[in-house]
Amino acid sequence: MRSKLPDAASSRKMAASSAVVAILASIWLCSSIAADASGSSSETTMHTNNWAVLVCTSRFWFNYRHMANTLSLYRTVKRLGIPDERIILMLADDMACNSRNKYPAQVFNNENHWLNLYGDNVEVDYRGYEVTVENFLRVLTGRHESAVPRSKRLLSDEGSHILLYMTGHGGDEFLKFQDSEELQSHDLADAVKQMKEKHRFKELLIMVDTCQAATLFNQLHSPGVLAIASSMKGENSYSHHLDSDVGVSVVDRFTFYTLAFFERLNMYDNASLSRLFNSYDPNLLMSNAYYRTDLYQRNLQEVPVTNFFGSVMETVHTDSAYRAFPQKNTPRETRIRTGNTAEDDSRRSILTDMTKAECPFTRIVSSLESKMETVGNLDSLVNYGLVMILPVLVVSVWLST
Amino acid sequence: MAEIAESPSTTEHPLGTVGASRSKASSSALRESDVDPKTMRTTTPGLKRLFLTFSVLLSFLLGFPFLWKTVEIYRSPLPFGDMDALSKQIESSPLQFPCHFQSVFLNFDSRSSGGILDPRELRSSILSEMTKLTSQTLERQCGSCGENFTLSVVVDSDGNGLTPNCSYKCGALGALNLGDGEAVDEALRSALDESCSDYGGKLYTVVVVNGDGAGEGPKALVGKHRHGWISGRELDAEAMIGRMAEMFVKIFMNGGREDGAIHGEFMPVGADGRVVLSFSLLNANPDDWFYDWDFQKLDDTLLNPVIEALKPIANISVESQVLYHTPKSSFSYWDESLGSYIFSTKDLPFFVNSNEWHLDTSVAAGGRTKILQFVVYVPSANECPLSLQLPSGEISKTNGFISPMWGGVMVWNPQSCIKYSGSGPPARLLMHPDDLHRIFEVLMGQLRQLFGLKSDSIYVGAAGAYKLLPSEKGFTEWELDVLSRQHTCFNLHSSGTTLGSLSRLVQSLPRMIIKDEIGKQVKFSLEAAQLAQTNASVGLYEASAASSRQARSLAEDAFFHPSIMSVSYFSFEHCFAVYSPFFLPVSLHVLLAALREWRRYKQEKAKYVRWKVKQVKAA
Repeated sequence: MRSKLPDAASSRKMAASSAVVAILASIWLCSSIAADASGSSSETTMHTNNWAVLVCTSRFWFNYRHMANTLSLYRTVKRLGIPDERIILMLADDMACNSRNKYPAQVFNNENHWLNLYGDNVEVDYRGYEVTVENFLRVLTGRHESAVPRSKRLLSDEGSHILLYMTGHGGDEFLKFQDSEELQSHDLADAVKQMKEKHRFKELLIMVDTCQAATLFNQLHSPGVLAIASSMKGENSYSHHLDSDVGVSVVDRFTFYTLAFFERLNMYDNASLSRLFNSYDPNLLMSNAYYRTDLYQRNLQEVPVTNFFGSVMETVHTDSAYRAFPQKNTPRETRIRTGNTAEDDSRRSILTDMTKAECPFTRIVSSLESKMETVGNLDSLVNYGLVMILPVLVVSVWLST
Repeated sequence: MAEIAESPSTTEHPLGTVGASRSKASSSALRESDVDPKTMRTTTPGLKRLFLTFSVLLSFLLGFPFLWKTVEIYRSPLPFGDMDALSKQIESSPLQFPCHFQSVFLNFDSRSSGGILDPRELRSSILSEMTKLTSQTLERQCGSCGENFTLSVVVDSDGNGLTPNCSYKCGALGALNLGDGEAVDEALRSALDESCSDYGGKLYTVVVVNGDGAGEGPKALVGKHRHGWISGRELDAEAMIGRMAEMFVKIFMNGGREDGAIHGEFMPVGADGRVVLSFSLLNANPDDWFYDWDFQKLDDTLLNPVIEALKPIANISVESQVLYHTPKSSFSYWDESLGSYIFSTKDLPFFVNSNEWHLDTSVAAGGRTKILQFVVYVPSANECPLSLQLPSGEISKTNGFISPMWGGVMVWNPQSCIKYSGSGPPARLLMHPDDLHRIFEVLMGQLRQLFGLKSDSIYVGAAGAYKLLPSEKGFTEWELDVLSRQHTCFNLHSSGTTLGSLSRLVQSLPRMIIKDEIGKQVKFSLEAAQLAQTNASVGLYEASAASSRQARSLAEDAFFHPSIMSVSYFSFEHCFAVYSPFFLPVSLHVLLAALREWRRYKQEKAKYVRWKVKQVKAA
């Protein structure tokens, strides 16, 4: 804050004005410090990993393009480094093995069939009828039944950046799941709010490719969320082109141009998010791509796309070994060569710290078992027992007459 | 319905009730002249109709509370007040632990240090140094000792010293052979630990020994238990105060780190209080060579003490595997001068090739357990030997790095990089115990780093360098104290915020079923949190860490209970819309019938009264 020095003002007036300026400056400084302290909770945690949740919500053969959208983004995200264990892929129907698919087990996003999206190493976490609004919200909020395996859970922590991509049919403040139920914008906003309260993400990027997609973000108000949609309220999102061989449209316009942007990148690049967002041309998309940055504090030009689409690992070098352990000095003889013995079948051994006390029942059972093992021939014992039944029977019959 | 009246004069019912059969118009008695049926009647009106309709109405009214009870949402009563109070309390007043310190000045006789040392003066100067150091870090940090520490000073010169109270017994430390660190450590332990049990054994001691050192200046060591010592020749007591204060604050209070608090990314304990350590041996190209290791023996002898030591902080389980065909995804280049393939710190984020390394296939870990991966990577022949080059240009001694909250990687080069050239697959080579031992030392260093401590054993402070003796349990007792304090703090903070969020969530969804299980978990979590706070105020670090871990795990279980899904519960309007088509029409009819019968009864009664009056007048 610059204050002009008046040439001919009384010193008292100058002192008063400078005091006022100082007070205002200190107030501004205090409020900015307070704002930093409250808003910096997401900046003090380190960005430790990236997650991706890719959801295709449509069913039926004519929605082939939604599946191809999701699989293309899956491939991109894997290519840029996010591993399968940090990707949750939800596909509502199976196009690759659909009986109408002329190319079985192959899914293309281009009419020239350049790329088989279903070829290599595709791990689908939720398939078919498992893709429901309830399961989707369970994935986001983390409230699973205890039997759900780790590969189906979003195991993010407070340092994770999450990419959430959804595609399908949508409308004003809703997204249609499986042609039978809807995800409403307030449900999504509520789930994101609960995620933020439990610190399940540091930053979240939501990309939605449906008709009127921007209305899905209307109720969001958690900080740290960035959202981009393929069309605004009242507009439709269109498919890019039709593959006359397969017989259906194979990709949507928004996803097509997103992929075109990413095909030019490799995992070492640092193109910024603002470049991605500015690369959408409304004439080519035939709709206005809308993005919402009011909940996101950072400047989009400084954020590289690999913050969400690539792999991140903070690494710290290990300076020295911890030399505390007593070493038994065995003579360094020639290497012990063991062949491929069968004894080494148990490659995976789970060693747990078991010092539980046994209850009496278990002790009795285990002592019985050990006794049984000492008996040499168990079959003959059983036969003796069966043979003994007959005299017992005879004696009891005789006694009863 | 036909009425059985005093006279068989039944009249047409003026209102004509639905379903009622018309009464036969039998001949009237004509006892009286002409009784106008519209205004008078000779008999009292019967009560049966009224009774019937009103009994039906009454049964409806009686049944309504039962209906209400059956559609009531079962909500186990959660103690919202307590939950909010706990979360507010933890936010506002960060937890501080009582710490007890003691300094002992040994062999400072009056000849050398110019006068008898006054313990009170020494105490005040040490205290002022310590407060200066503690005020440098953030005020009132959670898990620190804060201003809540006690200090006692003992001067022991030639066996007759001035001991203020219990704790150090003068003359307990005889002649110490200061050369051997381990021996001194043990001697100090036996002397100091038996002395005072007021503090639960958690007394941190620094002994300054003015003896015959080697002459290069004062040497400071910190032992494996809760004491350290400074030794040297011709020491000046005042000069040692700065080092003593630094030892107390920076090492015993802060754990050998500059700031007192450990960040969240160095607390790799899962939400259910469990950690799984997953050790993997990766053979990049088994066609060249492949190694196996005797992990069981390693676990029994070396790893178990570490796991035992960390028991109050986390419930640890261990698993191991050997994988084959696991190349890495980054590239390395051959450096002639260093004689090995080099990968630099810039490649580290891309080293872990998660597409090929399927490490997270554990079945031992539940949904909320944290898994830490420890990977030993054996490179292939065309990248052997593989070394890590640091930005300074030097080669790393450990060839290892960690990623917080994920785990650690270490590259182990086989002794000879000669490719196997025989026919058929190469035989499995078992790793030599010495190699395994060295690998284990690096992995333990990495485990310490993942928990926020350093892997080396020197601390360089403002006043000098301190050597930290390593412990065969992986963590020394004072380090475990620091970890316990920090983890208690973190767990309590987390359970407070979780319970607060849960209470807000439950109150915002008034029609959501809250199961009994959730109520119980919340209750036990609050009890455990209370116990943790009590233990912390007394100074029992391990007990408070264990109960705070339990509090956090119960709070997380309650919050992430699978039945709390807002999608599954219907609004009140839905309930109304479901039940009203059943009950509204029927209740309408019943009510109307009752009202009609009541009105009719009143009319008939009035008619009878009028006739009676006329009779009385006529008589």
